[in-house]
Amino acid sequence: MKIRKAAAFALALALCGAMLGCKGPQQTQTPASSAAEAPSAASSEAPKPAEITVVTSYGGDDGNRANYEAAVKDYEAATGNTVKDASSTSDEEWKAKVMADFETGAEPDVLFYFNGVDSNKIVQAGKVVSVDEIRAKYPDYASNMKDELLGASPVDGKNYSIPVNGYWEGLFVNKKVLSDSGVQVPGKDYTWDQFLQDCEKIKGKGYTPIACSLQQIPHYWFEFTIFNHDTIEAHAKLPASSSDEEGKAWVAGLNDIKTLYGKGYFPKNTLTATDAETFQMMADNKAAFAIDGSWKVGWFQENAKSIDDFTVTYVPAAGQRKATDIIGGISMGYYITKKAWDDPAKQEACVKFVEAMTTDEVVSKFGAVSVTALKNGATPPSGADSLTLAAIEMAKGQTGIAPAAQDNLGQQARTALFADIKNIVTGKKTAAQVVDACLAVKG
Amino acid sequence: MDSTIYQKKTPLFAFLTPAFLFMGVFLYYPFFMNIYNSFCNIEGLGTAASGMNAPWYLNYAKLFQDPLMATAVKNTLLLMLLTIVFQVGIALALALLVDSIGAGTQFFRTVYFFPIVISATALGLLFNLIFLYDGGMVNQLLLKFGAAEPVDWKDEAHFFFTMSAPVMWQYVGFYFVIIATGLNNISPELYEAAEIDGAGRWQRVRYLSLPLLHNVLCTCLILAITGALKIFDLPWVMMGDGMPLNQSWLTGTYMYNQTFTSGDVDYGSTVAIVIVVLGVVISQAANAVFKEKDY
Repeated sequence: MKIRKAAAFALALALCGAMLGCKGPQQTQTPASSAAEAPSAASSEAPKPAEITVVTSYGGDDGNRANYEAAVKDYEAATGNTVKDASSTSDEEWKAKVMADFETGAEPDVLFYFNGVDSNKIVQAGKVVSVDEIRAKYPDYASNMKDELLGASPVDGKNYSIPVNGYWEGLFVNKKVLSDSGVQVPGKDYTWDQFLQDCEKIKGKGYTPIACSLQQIPHYWFEFTIFNHDTIEAHAKLPASSSDEEGKAWVAGLNDIKTLYGKGYFPKNTLTATDAETFQMMADNKAAFAIDGSWKVGWFQENAKSIDDFTVTYVPAAGQRKATDIIGGISMGYYITKKAWDDPAKQEACVKFVEAMTTDEVVSKFGAVSVTALKNGATPPSGADSLTLAAIEMAKGQTGIAPAAQDNLGQQARTALFADIKNIVTGKKTAAQVVDACLAVKG
Repeated sequence: MDSTIYQKKTPLFAFLTPAFLFMGVFLYYPFFMNIYNSFCNIEGLGTAASGMNAPWYLNYAKLFQDPLMATAVKNTLLLMLLTIVFQVGIALALALLVDSIGAGTQFFRTVYFFPIVISATALGLLFNLIFLYDGGMVNQLLLKFGAAEPVDWKDEAHFFFTMSAPVMWQYVGFYFVIIATGLNNISPELYEAAEIDGAGRWQRVRYLSLPLLHNVLCTCLILAITGALKIFDLPWVMMGDGMPLNQSWLTGTYMYNQTFTSGDVDYGSTVAIVIVVLGVVISQAANAVFKEKDY
């Protein structure tokens, strides 16, 4: 009986133990306090190999995952340090997890994260180290980058992160559809009026002029239609209401989208289709134009029957904006956290890691078609296809870059705004109502 | 027989403790925190509350002014009604038919039960392809049979059918198996006696099968009603973001949207409370209406 009782308790204890043992990998890290107590006597000797925890968005099926892994491997081989990688794919859930890790003191040593309003909380809380502070001890830190393009924090205008590559947004064009419709491929001086005329011709030939899901991704059309009603300087400013200068531009831009919808230039199911469905129309030679980011080049390379049927060019312009003024910038970069910076065993390893991940060579591998902060610029890949070359050409020919206006909005406001675009185009709400409602959203 | 196992309860408590702790940590603690969170101001997932809402019942007042919440509750109740009629109704009809043919019962059980073992996400993707606007199976057939243009199965006129049909189809097999098992438990002698007394096929169903299935049907109806309140995955995959024009929200999908997509965590918590309250009230009402009988 005693044996049975003992066995029962042992089993119960084992189950409790197993439950308590269910902790995430991040929680098993060395706590900051104990790490900080690491012997500092080692500073006079050669640095011992360190293990650093790194969180990036190069996880999952990210197009640069292989490049990232190769760069990490090279760093480990060169320094003897070990990288504990906890990367994931960037989405709202990932952002929330990163923030939760900082709140609970389980932040990584190096973080590749957004440099806009998304990082405000960690900057305000002093959880990351500024580039100036790092350079005071390591003067060559990020010396291959243009400081003005690093992506300063909206909190205090200081640089905290070192970018790999930025992005641009441009007009992807199906040349085959344009040719069948008797329309020229747009150039540097493409105007909004010409665009409307071209859309009419394309529609007349039975094609869909614009591949866009207003249900899911109206973001890019929102950016450029409001850009056509403001300036590079004004585009970065958040309106206070629909009636101030920036607000009027937002309202006018949203009404332009309504006009395009009213003329039947979007896919017939644009209010119920996914972004993937509408983009498939480009690959299937059923649609002519689509606005998207530099990351979409890879999608065309994978899905287009012939990559030479596609090119990327400037989005049609109106008002003060030139077509060559584009939306773009550098939205993410490598941060070194305060916790790692204060840890003598990890500080140098983290600095070296960021330097290794942002060399000219590595940055060029990660995205030669993108906007870059490199002083020498990115090196184009050898044997590049026609779309890649067009993308590089377009990025080089830009006359001005404005950051995405949506990046000034918090998550709730952004979601509310884009969810309501379909209500604007169907006349259920006015553009002014939607702008005011989104600006009133908390957060 | 004298067995000490029934006298000494300590080992039983020892075995119950881990499950109790597990439930406490992963169910009841989050549940009570959820109630607390619904009164707080939380501006993002993973972010600590920045204080209480002002007034503290802000989210509960918002519930009654939010047209999307009204849509979600209306759709959920409608889906519940359809579940009762179609899931349990079709399952009953199929079970009676299969029971009548005698041979092949096992074959039909397997065939009808099969959709249950497929994940809802996979089914959602499957039905997305079936109802796809451009090149979907249904639209290809329509065009082949002379339709002028494809139908947008997710537009305002068709979305509820497109969303609910796969949900009905998925669970018919589950209730079919339960009812078929109930039918198997009815003694064949009763049917033989009724047949000798001159009862026809329909009369045997009406006066023997259905009354004797009463308890089984009650269980099915309660399961169907409570299950309808939890429907989330299939509609989320097919009708993400309440398409079209915010008309397809269910309480579950709206709660997820508010919490994870919009980042309005405290309002999402409030919607979750509504789901729990609805679940408790409706399941209690269902229990009261569909009382089991002792035979």
